[in-house]
Amino acid sequence: MTSEYKKPLPRPTINPEVSQPFWEGTKKHELWLQYCLNHNGHFFYPREVCPVCLAPQERLVWQQVPAKGRVHSYTTVYQPALPAFAEEAPFIHALIELDAGARIVGNVVGLSREEVEGNALELNQPVEAVFEDVTDEWTLVKWQRVDG
Amino acid sequence: MSLRGEAAIIGIGELPTQRSTPGRSMLGLLGDAARIAIKDAHIRKEDVDGIVTEGGATYPASVAEYLGIRDVRFGTGSSMMGASGATGIAIASMAVMNGLANNVLVLMGVARNPALGGGGEGFGGPGGEFEMPYGTAAGANTGYAMIYKKHMDQYGTTQEQLAHVASNQRFNALENENSAFKGQAISHQDVLDSRYVNYPLRLLECVMPCGGAAAAIVTTAERAKASLTNPVYVLGVGTALDDFGAYPKPEFTTSPVARSAPVAYAMSGYTPRDIQFAEFYDCYTILEAMCLEDAGIAPKGEIGPFFAATDTTYKGTFPINTDGGQLSSGQPGLAGGFRHVIEGARQIMGKAGVRQVARKDLCLVNG
Repeated sequence: MTSEYKKPLPRPTINPEVSQPFWEGTKKHELWLQYCLNHNGHFFYPREVCPVCLAPQERLVWQQVPAKGRVHSYTTVYQPALPAFAEEAPFIHALIELDAGARIVGNVVGLSREEVEGNALELNQPVEAVFEDVTDEWTLVKWQRVDG
Repeated sequence: MSLRGEAAIIGIGELPTQRSTPGRSMLGLLGDAARIAIKDAHIRKEDVDGIVTEGGATYPASVAEYLGIRDVRFGTGSSMMGASGATGIAIASMAVMNGLANNVLVLMGVARNPALGGGGEGFGGPGGEFEMPYGTAAGANTGYAMIYKKHMDQYGTTQEQLAHVASNQRFNALENENSAFKGQAISHQDVLDSRYVNYPLRLLECVMPCGGAAAAIVTTAERAKASLTNPVYVLGVGTALDDFGAYPKPEFTTSPVARSAPVAYAMSGYTPRDIQFAEFYDCYTILEAMCLEDAGIAPKGEIGPFFAATDTTYKGTFPINTDGGQLSSGQPGLAGGFRHVIEGARQIMGKAGVRQVARKDLCLVNG
């Protein structure tokens, strides 16, 4: 399976240990976020200090959260930076505002070509996660529309 | 105490932007730009005793060594992304007004080899892990397109309105010898007819990466008065830094200019209504538009109608990016943002030639 997947896999560059629970979660088709016990809120992407209140790592825990949110904004990519994405362009690269209170990047899938090119996706559209097992090792989180 | 009126730009240098710079190194291009600026300032290389560079790929020491500038008393980096050049002027101003140096050379630039391609790798942030797997567009396109879409949704801004940003600037670039797009006219409709790179960003709303360099000499007000130049005094400076990525930002359609501009206005004693023309960072139409409204040139959310109703060419009522900006000259690395400073200074010095603006005494620059 790994050999067939040509697109980039997540390449943890900042600190693989810190983000590992997130990707372990996606493998189980669950969405896990860090939660700060100091200011009582979730955040993303994974960090060693809270980006809201600078709480240290000891005050940060992982929690499973509902894999639901809304489309905060998006762009329709006609000319991807990497050739590996060329055949599926145009596709939607979106910023999802999670119900748990953090933002995450991902694709919104399940739209027809006509809908994609017609900019049919509305901002604030409710979405839910679709977990895509792209290799044996990695599962990406994508998003699809649901009724509000 | 502030730096108001304490320092001035007395010399500028700029290389033409080029799609590629075969056979040229970054240091070589920087050297060319430095030479022009030093000559323009009517000083000698030996008079330069301070250097501000981008600070990462080009340390002040490596630039000084390459240029053979021996008596550097003050050297530092200015690493504020596109604002590095403008911030470099502020840093240089602080150095000279406090006696750390007399003549500070600020210089930025990059060589470009198109074979290297580029885009999407990010700058050490989380992009490789959390964005790239979902397919990004080149450079910073992805984030700015999402900001564009949000601005449209939030304020009713239209692509028709923002297309004026690109077409007006192209008019400004038509006779600019230093622009990669010199002589290549585009109409408002051409912008709207250009293909989507990634919706809502069309090709002609995006900056083109290129090679080039720019430099300026900053000295004290006292020395500037005694010089053989027409000095450009620094009257107010404000800086602000933002998250690198777009998604952690709660205020998605507000730029850091909302925080930096008030500081610059307060220091200078002027208000947005006093500004005669503007040179604003423009990697994308939407970014320039958003920054202009955050600087009070139009009320928040009304920059779209402003562009639809205002002639922003150098002949117009409120000229913006009078050399064509980066959208019409290309982006030579951090010299892209610095070129806005250079053009603002050039206009105030009265050396802008055919594109000289009528009211040239007070310019607002955003890097």
